[in-house]
Amino acid sequence: MRSGEKKTGRGRRIHLFDVVLAAAMGGLCIIFIYPFVNIIAISLSSNVMIGSGRVTWFPRELNPAGYRLVFGKAPIYLAYLNTLKYCLLFALVNVLATAMIAYALAQNEFACRKGITVILLITMFFSGGTVPTYLVVSNLKLMDTAWALVLPTAVSVYNVFVYRAFFKGITGELREAARIDGAGEYRILFRIIFPLSKPLFATFGLFAVVGMWNNYMEPLLYIRDAQKQPIQMVLRNIIFQAGGGVTFGSDYYAMADSGMLNPKNVQYAAIVAATLPIMIFYPFLQKYFVQGVQVGAVKG
Amino acid sequence: MKGSDLALKRRGIKKQGAFLVLCLPALLLTFLFRYVPMYGILIGFKNYRPNRGVWGSEWLDPLFQNFERFFNSPNCWNIIENTFKIGIITLIFTYPMPILFALLLNEIKSTRYKRLVQTVSYIPHFVSVVVLVGMLTGFASADGLFNGIRAFFGAPAVNMNEGDRYFLLMYVGSAVWQGMGWGSIIYLSALTNVDTSLYDVADVDGAGRWQKMLHIELPAILPTTMVMLILNTGTVLTQDYTKILLMQNDTNRSLVEVIATFVYRMGIEQGQFGYTTAVNLLVSLISFFLVFTTNMIVRKLSPENSLW
Repeated sequence: MRSGEKKTGRGRRIHLFDVVLAAAMGGLCIIFIYPFVNIIAISLSSNVMIGSGRVTWFPRELNPAGYRLVFGKAPIYLAYLNTLKYCLLFALVNVLATAMIAYALAQNEFACRKGITVILLITMFFSGGTVPTYLVVSNLKLMDTAWALVLPTAVSVYNVFVYRAFFKGITGELREAARIDGAGEYRILFRIIFPLSKPLFATFGLFAVVGMWNNYMEPLLYIRDAQKQPIQMVLRNIIFQAGGGVTFGSDYYAMADSGMLNPKNVQYAAIVAATLPIMIFYPFLQKYFVQGVQVGAVKG
Repeated sequence: MKGSDLALKRRGIKKQGAFLVLCLPALLLTFLFRYVPMYGILIGFKNYRPNRGVWGSEWLDPLFQNFERFFNSPNCWNIIENTFKIGIITLIFTYPMPILFALLLNEIKSTRYKRLVQTVSYIPHFVSVVVLVGMLTGFASADGLFNGIRAFFGAPAVNMNEGDRYFLLMYVGSAVWQGMGWGSIIYLSALTNVDTSLYDVADVDGAGRWQKMLHIELPAILPTTMVMLILNTGTVLTQDYTKILLMQNDTNRSLVEVIATFVYRMGIEQGQFGYTTAVNLLVSLISFFLVFTTNMIVRKLSPENSLW
């Protein structure tokens, strides 16, 4: 009904404007997508073709040397493992801490509600800055541990408010009913409210996982140990340090000297290796992500 | 009667206690990693010695010594200029694009096509900063995509990574590319709240598409645009320094230094904690002032749309 009205309201005839708009949007889509296609195509092309700048949509003179180097060596697997660990830990701490405080703040009878909200709000507009935060992490002896990546950014005020809005929507009567049955607060939260919040947790858990997967700033500050580096750091090393020469050593130079390897083969293969895990899941996750932003938008 | 009162009270206290316990983990993290660093700003005014702690270190003699040092350093005005220039130009381009994109998307009649465009437009958002800059530097190299485009228009191939000539274009362009689709979500969901009967009224009045956009859709998203503007002004001076760090190379480093990268380089890499904390404090204060002023202006213009 609603969309039908809209359609008749706006006229069914196709104007020139519609054609131009559709074409322009198609062009935009190409701009959004083409860089990725080009990266994949170049990562699989021969040294000569890359150097001539003629690789566009498809690989030319197929050459998997870059992938052989990236996946033939230990650093990438270690990085995957480290990253996975950081992501899961971050999602867990992030969702749990946020959900707990948001639930308390959603209860009108909670006396400290206003005070705690103000404490959180202040952090949205003022911060100590990079160096003082770095000193805290370092004084707590968290350097080179997963906690350095997880704890400082685990509580986002914005997320707390989104969760709170969600809990306000589902608690009310449900809690009253449970309370009459004699259930304590923790029991109500963990047995009744949390199971009902699975979509919320899934959405924000995914945000957390992707955020940590792509996180570069905190590892740059807090992880110095080569054995503990996440994927983004390893990727940085491959792309920005002698085209991978530093990471792969003699193997890299042997392949480069033989002329079969262009630095871009390795760099772009590494980009694909770091991005593909997210892109594979993207079509399935997209719905959740958009929901997550919209939940926030309703509140904002 | 009295007994049940007492029981009720006890239960009330127990409940408040339970709520407080639930707040504890998040409050502890907020305290440790937000408030302790705020206290740590004091080292900007102290001769910080790690073994003495923030409080135990002695105060600097001219208290504002670090600020004097910064303003007397030769590169200082260049850094300040870069910080403002990059921040403002980024805001000018990245702020309106999602709004424009959302309004145009809203004009697409085919729901399926609209959804396809949306889905595609979100993809760049999921790219990490390392990947983004990796792509940028690759495309900007002499045999890269950007030079392919230049060649199409007959321009000679150049390595665009060298010097600062193309830096701003690449920095801002990639920010627009990455944020445009994702940023539009919030406006699109505001647009779904438009009362459809307004369109019928507008049709009766003979309003064209442009007029509808101006008088129906724009007012519908106005509150959102205002909130986003206020929040965005807070980030003008705190650019994504990791992106700039990655884009820097030996040929442009001194030319594209901003306060945030300066703080990282001098503070984290060289250990000049007090000095860089003081410099960073300037940015925090100006950012806070910007948010505050924008909010005040918005409140003057349309009181219901301000943040506070």
